[in-house]
Amino acid sequence: MTAPSQTDPAPPGPSERSRRRPRIDDTDAAGLGRGRAAAFVAPALLLISIFLIFPALWTLYLGLTNWRLTGLAAVEPEFVGLDNYLDALTDPSFHNSLLLTLLFVFFSAVVGQSVLGFSLAWTTRRLRPSIRSLLETVVLLAWIIPASVIAFLWIALLSRHDGTLNALLGTEGTAWLLEYPMQSIIIFNIWNGTAFSMLLFSSALASVPPSQFETARMSGAGTLATLRDVVFPNIRGHILTNTLLITLWTFNVFTPYLITRGGPEGRSEILGVYIYRVALNEGALGRGAALSLIMILINLVIASVYLRLLRERKP
Amino acid sequence: MAALDTAVQTRRRGGGALTVLTWFIGLLFFFPVFWMVLTAFKRETDAATDPPKLFFEPTLEQFGNLFDAGAGTYFLNSLFATTVSTLLVLLLAVPAAYALAIRPVKRTKDVLFFFISTKMLPVVAVIVPIYVIAGQIGALDNVWMLIVLYTAMNLPIAVWMMRSFLQEVPTEVLEAAQMDGATLRQNITQVMLPMVAPGLAATALICVIFAWNEFFFAVNLTASQAATVPLFLVGFMTSEGLYWAQLSAAATLASLPVVLAGWAAQKQLVRGLSMGAIK
Repeated sequence: MTAPSQTDPAPPGPSERSRRRPRIDDTDAAGLGRGRAAAFVAPALLLISIFLIFPALWTLYLGLTNWRLTGLAAVEPEFVGLDNYLDALTDPSFHNSLLLTLLFVFFSAVVGQSVLGFSLAWTTRRLRPSIRSLLETVVLLAWIIPASVIAFLWIALLSRHDGTLNALLGTEGTAWLLEYPMQSIIIFNIWNGTAFSMLLFSSALASVPPSQFETARMSGAGTLATLRDVVFPNIRGHILTNTLLITLWTFNVFTPYLITRGGPEGRSEILGVYIYRVALNEGALGRGAALSLIMILINLVIASVYLRLLRERKP
Repeated sequence: MAALDTAVQTRRRGGGALTVLTWFIGLLFFFPVFWMVLTAFKRETDAATDPPKLFFEPTLEQFGNLFDAGAGTYFLNSLFATTVSTLLVLLLAVPAAYALAIRPVKRTKDVLFFFISTKMLPVVAVIVPIYVIAGQIGALDNVWMLIVLYTAMNLPIAVWMMRSFLQEVPTEVLEAAQMDGATLRQNITQVMLPMVAPGLAATALICVIFAWNEFFFAVNLTASQAATVPLFLVGFMTSEGLYWAQLSAAATLASLPVVLAGWAAQKQLVRGLSMGAIK
């Protein structure tokens, strides 16, 4: 996730920064010397380097070996060059999982969470603050509770024999998780993640100048025209930020594993789950590492597309 | 209802239907959680009825059973890992954010980007090396390993969030304090921190939520000694079959701390999660 302050996606950033900028570079407001400033930052940098960056670099190296969890290659892994990558790129289950991940991200995040989150923010914006806050809290509940609890709730809801959904719909014996695995985890992820979009768009809508709404109303613009001419131009930065963040989160999400284990027969095996299976269940650590790197690269591509869009927005 | 009515009045036709739809969606979000809490107070026999019972004689039996089943250790581990890692995060993040907000070193942008880039690492991608390291230093199934990882995991968000709060403190105030002879320590503890206390609290709460909910590291790096609450829940799902009432009680208890934290931090959540980009 990248939101460097220099290209602050959300107004009112720019004015504040330009006001601050000139003095901060030459003066030192609190008398913090260069040395102490570095010493303040160093411990945090060090910890992250050891426990996140170093493992990631190690993963980079592992991807070039045939290291395995068990067996001969566990003791003396050999350097195999780009074999893992070639294998991965020609493996049908990798293609399958990439496609499923695309569908998952597109329908649950880009379409589901954004649209539902925006609609909720839009329809609740005129409610009394206390009532709106209640509704936000309810939606937030679904986001905040632990993934393990969420998995349990969805298994309980969709279970074949005594699931709540079957009891409510009278569809006795429908195995939702087996028959509609992708639909199940997509709806699950919408339910789980909409809170963020809703809260973000709520604050975005509050930043639209009321006078512009007033003008639109006076000129007799309907809801759609108001959205198109007043709301969207004002909140483009928010929309971009929201799309980037939920895309990255959804792309890296692992919770569906707890609900469907990627099954049946890989039909809900999104990328994170697929890598987990290859690396830890099947023990092909080198192969898993190569796949991880591909996943990291996709993350970087998504982030840089976002940054480019953001830069174009600001002349 | 009154608010609902005024909301309807202020809108033209169609607005009413939209409001009803909104409430219906709100209900959909609430229903599974509501059902979980309800079931937690049922007896196993009441929980398994078809059609489901809405009215029953509530009991605390399930919560008692949980602690007989050894939930205590898991809760203590979670509590310890969450509290200590959150304190460590604040201890490391506040100075870093302070330095990055007040006195940008030449490479401030690079440093900030470095912090944020770690948020693009899928956990699946780092678990194998971390597992090997933990094995080498004998830290498998050790709660301190989780503490260190949760600290590293939450640091980037905390640094960005604290920086965005610290930047809002007018530099004039700091300069004035310095003119009056405040030392650096006084400047931080007596001028800066009181002004950003709400931001500090929100940052802490977000770290609490992520640490308490963390599942992936815990499941791969711990066994019986250091296992946390999410593992208790998952273990329960598989080993005991599906006892709805008891599982619901466990899930309710597991959710309680983060629900409280989230409720308290609600206003600052978006800001924290968007790395301070959205206020």
